[in-house]
This record gives sequence, C-alpha cells and structure tokens, in this order.
Amino acid sequence: MTHLAAFVLCLAGFAALAFATRRQQRDILGGSLRSAATYGLRVAGVCALLSALGILVAKYGWSLGLVMLSGHTSLAAGFVYCVLIGLVRTHGPPAAHAN
Amino acid sequence: MNTDDDVRVEGPGIRQSMSSLHTWAGLLLGWVLYAMFLTGTVSYFKDELSQWMRPELARLSQVPDRAVVAQRIADELGNIAPGTSQWSIRLPDERNNSANVFWRTAPRNPGQRGFGEASFDPVTGQRVTSRGTLGGEFFYRFHFQFHYMPVVWGRWLAGIAAMFMLVAIVSGVITHKKIFVDFFTFRSGKGQRSWLDAHNALSVFGLPFHFMITYTGLVTLMAMYMPWGEMAAFKSPAERQQLNAELTAFIQPGKPTGQKAPLASVEDMVRQAQERWGRDNVGRITAVHPGDAAARVSVARAESGRVSMSPQYMEFEGATGKLLTVREAVGAAAETRGVLYALHLGRFSDTETRWLYFLVSFMGTAMVGTGLVMWTVKRRQKLPDPDRPYFGFRLVERLNIASIAGLSIAMTSFLWANRLLPHPMEGRADWEINAFFIVWGLALLHALMRPVKAAWVEQLWTASALLLLLPILNALTTQRPLWRSLAEGDWVFAGMDIMCWALALLHAVLAMRTARQAANAPSRRRANRPTPMTVASSEGAR
Repeated sequence: MTHLAAFVLCLAGFAALAFATRRQQRDILGGSLRSAATYGLRVAGVCALLSALGILVAKYGWSLGLVMLSGHTSLAAGFVYCVLIGLVRTHGPPAAHAN
Repeated sequence: MNTDDDVRVEGPGIRQSMSSLHTWAGLLLGWVLYAMFLTGTVSYFKDELSQWMRPELARLSQVPDRAVVAQRIADELGNIAPGTSQWSIRLPDERNNSANVFWRTAPRNPGQRGFGEASFDPVTGQRVTSRGTLGGEFFYRFHFQFHYMPVVWGRWLAGIAAMFMLVAIVSGVITHKKIFVDFFTFRSGKGQRSWLDAHNALSVFGLPFHFMITYTGLVTLMAMYMPWGEMAAFKSPAERQQLNAELTAFIQPGKPTGQKAPLASVEDMVRQAQERWGRDNVGRITAVHPGDAAARVSVARAESGRVSMSPQYMEFEGATGKLLTVREAVGAAAETRGVLYALHLGRFSDTETRWLYFLVSFMGTAMVGTGLVMWTVKRRQKLPDPDRPYFGFRLVERLNIASIAGLSIAMTSFLWANRLLPHPMEGRADWEINAFFIVWGLALLHALMRPVKAAWVEQLWTASALLLLLPILNALTTQRPLWRSLAEGDWVFAGMDIMCWALALLHAVLAMRTARQAANAPSRRRANRPTPMTVASSEGAR
C-alpha cells in the first residue's frame, strides 16, 4: 500500500511538473498558463515528490526509503512521459507534431 | 544522452568535446554494455529464473521454519559427508524453494581442493535431483565475467566496459545542456531528433540508477582492479585475515584437535539468531570441522531489509553450542563498501522494489540500445551514398542487430534449451550455455548476410515468436502449465509465462513498426516527411 501511495504521489508530482513546462502547455493545452499557475504547479509537483519520500522513509527508514523513491520517481517520470506523448498525439494541436 | 544536435557552438567547446567523448565512449564497448545491462537486468530475478529452470523441484507454498530445516540438513550431511572439514547451507526463503549446500571433500589431486554441492528439500532434508542447469546464475555470472574466457579476463573486460559507461554518463550529463527544460520533451516523427529525445528520456529518468549501478559495479570488483592499497596496508596473514573478517562471514578454520565431538543442536543456534534478527531473517549456516572438538558454527543474517552486504553473524562453539561472538558492525570503510555492494545487488529488496530495480534497469538497457542505434541513424543522413556505406558503418549496423535483437533470441533460446535438452544428460548445464552462444552466433551470421532492415524485422519477429511459444513449450514439457500455476498461486511460473508474453508483444510491436517503416520509406523519401520512430528508423530502407 505504501508503494502504491508513493507511486501515485510521484505520478501526480511529475504530471504537475510536466504541465509547468512551456512546451507541454503549448503542445497539450494549446497555450501558456499564467506565471502564477505555472509556479503553483511547480510547487505542487515538488511537494508531491517530497510527500512520497516522506511516506517511504516513515515506513522503511532512510536507506530503503531513498532507494525506493529513486525507483518510483524513475518509473513515474517514464509513465508520465508516455502519457504526454499519447496526449500530444490525440489532443495536441497539429503544430505540436511539426515542432 | 547524445545531444550533438543541440550543441551549436563555435569551435570545440566543452560541450562539443564532451559530446564526442560521449559518442565514442558509448559506442566502442556499447555492445558489451548492452549485453551486461540486459543480462544484469534479468538477474534481479535470478532466483525465480532458477526455480523456473528446475521445474522438478516442488513449489514451497510456505517456507518451513529455518531452524528445523537447518537441523534436518545438518543431520543429513553427517551421513553423506562425514569427516568433511567444512559445510555451508544457504537456507530456503520466499525466493528459493530448496536449500543449497556446499561441502568440502578430500582433494582428487594433490594441491587441489575438492568440494561437493547439492540442493536439499527443506521439508524432508533429503538431497534432491533436478535437471543439470546453471539457472538464472548463468545470466548473473555472464553480466560481469562473460563466458568461454578466464574469469579474471572477463571481469577486467566488464570493468573496462563499466568505466566507459561511467565516462559516457558523466560526459552525457555535461553535454545535455537543457536537462530540466527538456525533461519531458519528445518530438514525435522527427527521425534523429525523436531518437535523441527517447535516448535522453531513458537516460535522465533513470539517471540516479544508471550512475549508481555503474559506479557500484566497479566497486564490487575494486579489490581486483586496484589491489595496491590493500597490498600496502595489509601485509601479514593476520592482517589479511582481519580484512576478510570485515568483508565476509567466513570463519577461519583453526586446526582440528582430532578429538571427536558431535555438533550441538544447530536448531538451537539458529533459534538464537532468529530471536535476534527475526524468524525469517537467517540466511546461511557454516560449520568448520563439524564432528571435531574444535568445531565452529556461524549463523549469518539474511540480506533482506538492510542496505548493506557487510557480514553480520553469530559464532558458536560447535561441540557445546555456546555463543562465542556476535558480529554486527564493521569499520566505516568496510561498511561503505558493503552499502555500495548492496545497492548494486538489490538483495535487500521486497518484491515491489525488485520490480523497480528490474524496470529501471530495463530502461538502462534501452538507453544503451537507443544510443547504439542513434549512432547509425545520425551518420546515415550524412553518407555520400546511403546505399553503399563505408565498412565501419556497416559493421556497427550489423553488430547492433545481433547484439540487440540477436541477444533477445539467444537468451530465449537458453530457456528453450532448458526445456528441450534431455535429462539426465552429461554436461547438460554446459549445453544450455552452448545453445545460447550458438544461437547468438547464428544471429550475427544472419545479420551479416541479410539486408539491414530485413535482418532487424526477421530477428525481432523470431524473438517474439520464441517468447510467445515458450509458455506453451513449458506447458507441454512440465507439469506446471500456466493454468495450473494460476490456480495454485504459483507466481514464479505464472509470472514467467506472463512476462514472456509481455516481452513477445514488445518485440512484435518493434518488428511491426520497423517493417512499416521499411514499407513507407520510398514514399517518405519522395514526400520528404518526418518519420515515426522505429527500432531501425532511418537505418535505411534497403
């Protein structure tokens, strides 16, 4: 259960960080978000990743918790990346393909 | 993380220099690194693979009490190896359904050391026989010492390849100037750029792992690569013995007294260890001079749940069962080595963490693979005549096919050989390995003889077919088909079958995309449109 929670938090964190980048905003949302929203997404993303670290360390201790976080972040980032590719292909503006 | 294309500086700046270094450090031993990465990746499940490759050994639905198992096997060893100077039992656990036992025997030739090794049924305590196979141990050993060559040469080659990898990682990070800005970037359908983005993503997402696994891989064999510090610091036999005590749970055998004394209860010794470390946290028991008054027994802690390979053990007087010492800590330097070693092996992992290790390591394999393919993708565009590339280019192209798609075929063939070779058979374990290399050699031959695109497609389809049919072969040749494994909750066998189908699907998708690329290539050239990414994208529709 701890692993699942950590992974979901990492997914949420990377999704927020992805939408905080101009390229993803432009390719998927069709335009840039306001600076405040972008800043908020960055903060939310970092907080989600730190929360994942927190629950893993609380359950398994620092040594195991850090190793597990490294695995979860790598996998979650890869997962978000694949979803973004799918989103760009299905929902993104045509211009995104010719970027 | 080859970002040659991103680097647009006048003159050979630091990024340009690092980019060239990254390209060549990654390519020169890239094929060796790919094989090391892939076989190392599957080694995270080597115990499960070994179980699958010995289907005669019954599944352990519940691991019996290790203290009882230890006593059973110690008693049996008294019958089959009386007078041995040493035995060692690796107790069964959730991932190992048998106890692995090693014992010393009288040497056959003067100057040699004799030993016996066998698997024991933890329930009956009796020796069990299964088909001759190295199991998952083959891939594990191959990934750092290869085969058909002296072990030392193999380890040196692995060390040199790991050093190249480390150089490639560091130079790749320096080259990749937009590591955060381009973190989620994938420019679809842009040929070389798409390959670059995929390579960057696979590299950056797993960067902490890739760096850790490469560096700690070097640390595991550091005493061999750089022995001089150790040679200068530890000169006398006593000093070397002290060093060994920091690194392993091996008890230095003293001299036997010649006075017979039966071993005290091994079960009681293991019980004391269980009280200290937990019921399921005892890994190995070693006895020196069992049956002699000078006997010593060590009970070592298992590796699960602690990120350190530093030895932790309790030492007992064999004849009386009296606890002599408890060793639970080593010096700072030894502990540093123990932690780095443990990080590489990942044996402390629970199931979820082992899967994380496997998947991120798989990303690392894909990183090396995309890097190798990208070398040709990038250069093909600059060839004066793409239909007649120069020798070096053709060599890289063909080696890529055999080392990437061909290795998948060879590894799967190793598993096929496990099911198809007769047993008993003289040298069976060796023939499984020979089958692996024969098939790999044939894959290279095929890659040399066929047009590039056709070779990619055919080899990917072959790998896919072999993987798809493996569970069926398993159902036909063993009593453990998928439906029974699922019904009995045997997740080692069921997981293996399902994983084979998942990998078959992956290879089929790559084969289809590559074939589609081949079919689209002429019209694409005419239209000059961007292309979807395939395994052999832009490698020439020839």
